[in-house]
Amino acid sequence: MFASSTPLFWLAATLAAYVLSRIAHHYLRAWWTSPLLLTCVLCLGLTVVLHTGYREYMRGGQWLLLLLGPATVAFAVPIYEHRALIRRHWPTLAVGVGFGCLLAFGGSWLLSGLLGLPAGMRLSVLPRSITTPFAMDFARQVGGAPDLAAVCVIATGVLGASLGGMLLKVLPLRSALARGAMLGMGAHGAGVARALEEGEEEGAIAGLVMILAGVTCALLGPAISLFNSIAAV
Amino acid sequence: MHATTNNHSGRVRTFLETAGQTVFLIGVWWICDAATKAVGLPVPGGVIGMLALLAALATGRLKASRLTLGAKGLLNHMLLFFVPAVITLRDHAELLSPLGLKLLAVIVAGIVSVMIGTALIVELSMHLRSRHVR
Repeated sequence: MFASSTPLFWLAATLAAYVLSRIAHHYLRAWWTSPLLLTCVLCLGLTVVLHTGYREYMRGGQWLLLLLGPATVAFAVPIYEHRALIRRHWPTLAVGVGFGCLLAFGGSWLLSGLLGLPAGMRLSVLPRSITTPFAMDFARQVGGAPDLAAVCVIATGVLGASLGGMLLKVLPLRSALARGAMLGMGAHGAGVARALEEGEEEGAIAGLVMILAGVTCALLGPAISLFNSIAAV
Repeated sequence: MHATTNNHSGRVRTFLETAGQTVFLIGVWWICDAATKAVGLPVPGGVIGMLALLAALATGRLKASRLTLGAKGLLNHMLLFFVPAVITLRDHAELLSPLGLKLLAVIVAGIVSVMIGTALIVELSMHLRSRHVR
């Protein structure tokens, strides 16, 4: 009956919101025009105005979500292109990603327990420092909610990019490696974009750390689900 | 070279190349996803696809330059792909409550601890390595 009830409408509306957000960010460059934030706010607002629920939205939206799989595959190209950087700094990168993941997963688990969040939410907030495709897969494997995990990941990206900018001014970091690793580990994709503003090397390191943390998470997920299924027997 | 005359056809070619490479990456994911599901592997198809592609690049079976346009395209627009997941907030009215505020507190405290910890350990590692190596 209404245009908003066809699957194609929500696909087109999301694409339109994304294009609009990118144009707005190109001209205004404010924190609230971050395409990550603005696209989500515009789409959420439209679903509220048109009284559309999640399930109805997803009949069109699922096609975009599906592209996260090919995006994960695409990570192979930048990893391969940065192989010289990996070879030169692999001990530092391994220590940074390992310790960062320990802090990210351990910290989220302890803090959410301390504040008494329900179990499903605790499992979904666990991979919040990891880039979305890996985080959603992880949440699915350990028994959390992938969609809620994506919400936590995006909140981490938006808040992390601005908190990271403040921390850069406070912390006495001399190496580009430390600045890049901090942003890539703490705020994934949004942190990489922020790191690129600091410099080319910071951006490359941030991207690399984000990918390595994602791969670590991808190995951790099956390990935990295997452990859970053994523990259940 | 031929900047003005070939500008248009150059753009069309770039677009076609990007589209072709993107379709190839989607195909790799499709095959790997079907294969992991058929075998019952507990690893997502995308991760297997990434490892397979990395192996093909490392052994020289594929040239990275022939995939950069498609890969950068997918990665640059990655944030668009997870917007649909955020709409799940429509079904989570309970987050507009003290519970949502607690979740936010976990996220903010988490970000700060991860960032400070990672930055300091990398800085320390660089410092120690430069002293030992040189």
